[in-house]
Amino acid sequence: MTAERPTFSPFWHRVRALTPRLRPHTQITRQHYRGRRWHVVHDPATNQYYRLSPVAHEFVGLFDGKRSVEEIWQIVLGKHGDLAPTQGEVIQLISQLHNANLLHADVSPETEQLLARGKERQAKKVKQQLIGLMYFRVKLFNPDRYLSLLEPILRPILNRWGFLAWLAFLIFAASQVLPEWDLLQKGFGSAISPANWGWMTVVFIVVKLIHETGHGVICKRFGGQVPELGVMMLVLVPAPYVDASACWAFNDKWKRIAVGAGGMIFELFVASIAALVWANSTPGQLLHQLAYNAMLTASVSTVLFNANPLMRFDGYYILSDLLEIPNLMQRSTNLLKHYAKTIIYRIKDSTPPTSIVSEQWIMGVYGVLAMIYRVFLFFSITLYVMGQMFAIGLFLAIWTAAAWFILPLGSFIHWLATHQSLAEFRTRAIATSLALVAAGFLLFGAVPWPDHRRGIGVIESPAQTGLFFGVDGFVRTVHARPGERVLKGAPVVTCESPELEAQLAVVRAMRDDAEAAERQARMKNPAAAQVAEERVRAFTDQERLLRERVEKLIVRAPHDGVLVGIDPAKFLGGYVKAGSPAGELVDDHGLRIAATLSQSEASWLFELPRDKYDVELRLVSRVDQIVTGGAVRVVEAAQKKLPHASLGFAGGGEYEVAAEDKSGTESKRALFELTVQPTISEDALASSMWNGLPGERVHLRFTLPDKPLLWQWLDHLQKTLQGRAQL
Amino acid sequence: MSQALTRYHALFESIRSRRRRPDDLRGLDALARRAGVRIRAARVNLAWLRREAQEIDKLAPEFRSSSDGVLDEYIERVRDQFRRGRAEDEIVRRGLALVREVARRDTGEEAFIVQLMGALALYHGRIVEMLTGEGKTLTGSLVAPLLAWKHRSLHIFTVNDYLASRDAQSRGAIYARCRCAVGAIVQEMEPAERFEVYARPIVYGTPKQITADWLRDQIRLGTITSAWAGRGMLSQGAGESAGPMIPGLRAAMVDEADAVLIDEGVVPLIIARSRRGDEMAEVYKQAAALAAKLDMGPDFTIDQLRRKAELKSRGEHRVDQMVAQIDGAIWRAPRRAEELVRQALAAKYCYTRGKHYEIVESRIVIVDEYTGRFLADRSWEHGLHQAVEAKEGLDVTADRETLARMSFQRFFRSYPFLCGMTGTAADATGEIESVYARPVEIIPTNRPIARAAWPMRVFRTQQGKWAAIAQSIEEVHRAGRPILAGTRSIAASELLSSLLMQRGLPHKVLNANFDKDEADLISGAGVGGAEAAITVATNMAGRGTDIKLDDAAREAGGLHVILTEMHGAKRIDRQFIGRAGRQGDPGSSQLFVSTEDELLSLHAAPLLRVLQAVQPSGENGVEIAGSELVARLFRYAQRQSEARDRRNRAGVLRQDDWIDKYLPGS
Repeated sequence: MTAERPTFSPFWHRVRALTPRLRPHTQITRQHYRGRRWHVVHDPATNQYYRLSPVAHEFVGLFDGKRSVEEIWQIVLGKHGDLAPTQGEVIQLISQLHNANLLHADVSPETEQLLARGKERQAKKVKQQLIGLMYFRVKLFNPDRYLSLLEPILRPILNRWGFLAWLAFLIFAASQVLPEWDLLQKGFGSAISPANWGWMTVVFIVVKLIHETGHGVICKRFGGQVPELGVMMLVLVPAPYVDASACWAFNDKWKRIAVGAGGMIFELFVASIAALVWANSTPGQLLHQLAYNAMLTASVSTVLFNANPLMRFDGYYILSDLLEIPNLMQRSTNLLKHYAKTIIYRIKDSTPPTSIVSEQWIMGVYGVLAMIYRVFLFFSITLYVMGQMFAIGLFLAIWTAAAWFILPLGSFIHWLATHQSLAEFRTRAIATSLALVAAGFLLFGAVPWPDHRRGIGVIESPAQTGLFFGVDGFVRTVHARPGERVLKGAPVVTCESPELEAQLAVVRAMRDDAEAAERQARMKNPAAAQVAEERVRAFTDQERLLRERVEKLIVRAPHDGVLVGIDPAKFLGGYVKAGSPAGELVDDHGLRIAATLSQSEASWLFELPRDKYDVELRLVSRVDQIVTGGAVRVVEAAQKKLPHASLGFAGGGEYEVAAEDKSGTESKRALFELTVQPTISEDALASSMWNGLPGERVHLRFTLPDKPLLWQWLDHLQKTLQGRAQL
Repeated sequence: MSQALTRYHALFESIRSRRRRPDDLRGLDALARRAGVRIRAARVNLAWLRREAQEIDKLAPEFRSSSDGVLDEYIERVRDQFRRGRAEDEIVRRGLALVREVARRDTGEEAFIVQLMGALALYHGRIVEMLTGEGKTLTGSLVAPLLAWKHRSLHIFTVNDYLASRDAQSRGAIYARCRCAVGAIVQEMEPAERFEVYARPIVYGTPKQITADWLRDQIRLGTITSAWAGRGMLSQGAGESAGPMIPGLRAAMVDEADAVLIDEGVVPLIIARSRRGDEMAEVYKQAAALAAKLDMGPDFTIDQLRRKAELKSRGEHRVDQMVAQIDGAIWRAPRRAEELVRQALAAKYCYTRGKHYEIVESRIVIVDEYTGRFLADRSWEHGLHQAVEAKEGLDVTADRETLARMSFQRFFRSYPFLCGMTGTAADATGEIESVYARPVEIIPTNRPIARAAWPMRVFRTQQGKWAAIAQSIEEVHRAGRPILAGTRSIAASELLSSLLMQRGLPHKVLNANFDKDEADLISGAGVGGAEAAITVATNMAGRGTDIKLDDAAREAGGLHVILTEMHGAKRIDRQFIGRAGRQGDPGSSQLFVSTEDELLSLHAAPLLRVLQAVQPSGENGVEIAGSELVARLFRYAQRQSEARDRRNRAGVLRQDDWIDKYLPGS
């Protein structure tokens, strides 16, 4: 499927007689990409780069201001035959070089033409800025002087040994901090709390400045210029950037990679220092918090954003240098377009951006991933910003949607309607597109898909019995531990009390005495027998009472249930007093779940009868166990009180709670509270498949009647917008 | 001294004109421009034109009673006002009324209101649609002096050299009275003579002549970008080589504007010279021999629409094998070898003698598909011409090397002021607006049209169609009416001629082969009665001349026009049909088509198959029962063809603009 390359061009006469030469200030460097040689032409005046194939380079190399283009073409043609550029390609090449002001043809371009071109470039830049509002750039100053000061100081360590030392330091710092993982996690909560935002911003900017310095210094280290430092509004957060494009002309790809990774290297170094400071300072100090902030921004943001190759940050450039495919993003997109053109529209004369199979694979996979990521990024960022600042988020969403989705759609329609390559079968192409749209619509708009809604709840128990030790004694045996299920009457703890036993023995002996005395008396003295009988009865009563007390040494379950609370095992061998708690028993038949749904999610609760939807419950601790829910009852609508603190932000839950609320149950958003009665079979209980206990969090999944995806999404969107707007 | 000054001035103007670069607008910008054209055109609408024309008419009695001397004085005054850049409506009215009076005195023709309206519209830079026979020549000559006064120099483009010199002659008196010297550029003129003619305020000529002179100027000027930089060239050479011939492009009035601006708009005019080396001649012959050995189908496919051949893998393989046995460096490069073979195949199967070219004095002459005219001195580029020569077994001419090329489209866009006249502009409104940024004005006819359109007849086969056409011609001829039958190609006109010969019908054939006595033939085509004329002509033969009816013809029912095929563009059909019923004369027209016509197979092939399966035959088995469905199919194919041509033209325009914008030294 190679496109035609006609040898001749009707416009050849326009360039034939020119005797061009490259402007003296241009620089050409040689680079290798995937084993093939390329030449990069750099124009320092405009800081632009052009990549030439070896043949094109040879062609340009023959420009000497004396030979005409025709002569040069003949020379190259004689040497390379079919590989030589065609007339059309030569015209393309010359026009490109000419328009980049790299060419000194015998006619100097007119000043007005130059100015016009400059203006055009400027207008294009402005347009790009507007389209990419998510990454708005403002140029600030030329950091060259500052970098020139810094670079000689750092030069001794900017080499392989320095890198190894850096790596060792990184590992050392990690080894110091990682054991304290719990503490690290705990710190996160306070780091993202609003009180810390101010410090966070300061630290972020400082860290990012160091990051950019890293790029700049390493670029300078290898001889590149860094002419520009500015600020990029990265999703409304200002982040500095430098223009290190000089590295594109480096001929060693590892040098280019080093420049790309320079930011992260510096930043991770900062993170390591911060980690050591954090580990060696006492909690509560400002320094401790600052170090944590620095550690967090310098490591997490670096890994999440800078190293991510799917966005056009450092990771992307590193990846594209590693793969030796320059311009990866654009060419991947072009490749996908090419596939669409040839497979869907069956256009014959489409040229893929590369003809090498391995590159096609890489680009194809990358292109698809980047596309998916882009959609994901769009939704997550806009939803996040909308959550923070609704109006700005909405504006950003609309703007970005326009730039990322509507503009391409528009240009696609324009392409479909007017492009030359479709001229012969435009009707078919339009029909294909409509069919695709229709199929998509059918898939999303007509085919019912399962509709699930999620909520979160807490287990509550209506019957919760305290278990108490009946008598004083020493704990001898523990039969059940918390979390274990016990049946009614089963022993939980057995105590022993030598005192009671002694008493019992005494009483028994005395009763035996009394009985013997009674028998004697009955034969001898009936009157005395009466008294003796009284004594026996008294002793028997006493024995019964004691027996009962002994019986109470064994703490038994008053009903079926699960043992919770104090672990009786901790009393083992110890002395316990009567009436002290031995644990609690939860009746697992009567468990219910107090759940919350955000207001925007829950309107269907009133619309659907109970038999139209199902609800599944999963314990947070055992998500593999599913229990179906029974009766559902709405307790209260549109209220702000959480049923349990564990659902709130402060308790590790999902709902944001008011900061001033000490109980941690005052939600910021209006919620629906409902109770769900789980239906748990006896078997499940017996085999302890379900071991949910009060206070544990439960995921709820409501399965609504199937509905086309599109309506589901619209529903969600509408509810979300409503919910936010009411805020 | 004054000679040197004139030359310097010419150089200055020439360079200024060539630096005028039409802006190349896309997408919304282009739409905005079209909207702008419409909005600016809003003032000069038909009602306004009529009001103004009536105002002008009111001035007539005053001037009519003036003596020649007084009239001259008036003219002098108005001319001064125009030259000083005054152009208020009142002055324009006065100027037009004066020229009208001059024309009446000199030629005896008194312009009608509609002609005044047309002249006014031209003055305001419109492309004017006036039907054939409505007096376009007079309309043009009314406004020409005004434009020449205002813009200093006016180029009037005519269809051919004959018309250029005829009009320059016949209108000369009017212009002379208006103090405007006039001249015509024709083929045979020497450069020195041309130089002298171009210096006059009004210059008649064909687009080809003037564009070619302009291109030669460009070559001569080379790459200089200012008059001062080129001053040296004025002093060096004397005579022809001293500076440009055309002193800048200022104002143009184009006759048959749609043909020039649209149909021929993209055919580039090329100034070329023969290449020195001639080793290629043999190569083309070898390529033709190779192509003859390949089989259509298994080896290659032909795309008639794009006039391209595509080699299949078997064909490629065979070419490789055969090429291996031929000596010659060029055959060693596989891609170029294949290119040559593909070209030879295209020459063989896509270009037919009598339709795309003719052989005149054992040389290939290209025939313009739209006009059916010979395009002398033009040749296809990049070896296609040579491939066709090799195919016909002629001597292969040396490959020519392009020195400069320019499409009419690009050329006419260099004029700051452009207006034009044509019989059929309405169908091309969109294109004229977007490419030339000129609005179109449709001027009503002086008298109502009394032409009848007979129903279209559709046949299954070509053969059936031609037989029916001959039959129909015979019938109408018996009725004593003159007949004009239009064909799309020279070959078709010859076929019809032979059919008529068999029936013993006396007729005349007017096609590109008989270009010279065209005007005489056409003027005799209106004879009616027993000796009623039958004229067979290619599509646009005789454009620009009227067919005047004699009394016998008028009584018998006027001219009957037969179209033997539907043309690719509706405009061309309309233009041809418009030859009947001029100036309120009676007349009729009929269209004959067959389902074997190229139009259908090229542009509506799938629908055609459906039609053939569905449509019942008429009573004689040859003619398809005429129905709305069939007519629609043909109109659909015509629209497709128009759209395709439009796209091609847009493509050429884009390419021209791109080259202008991005290549050095433009």
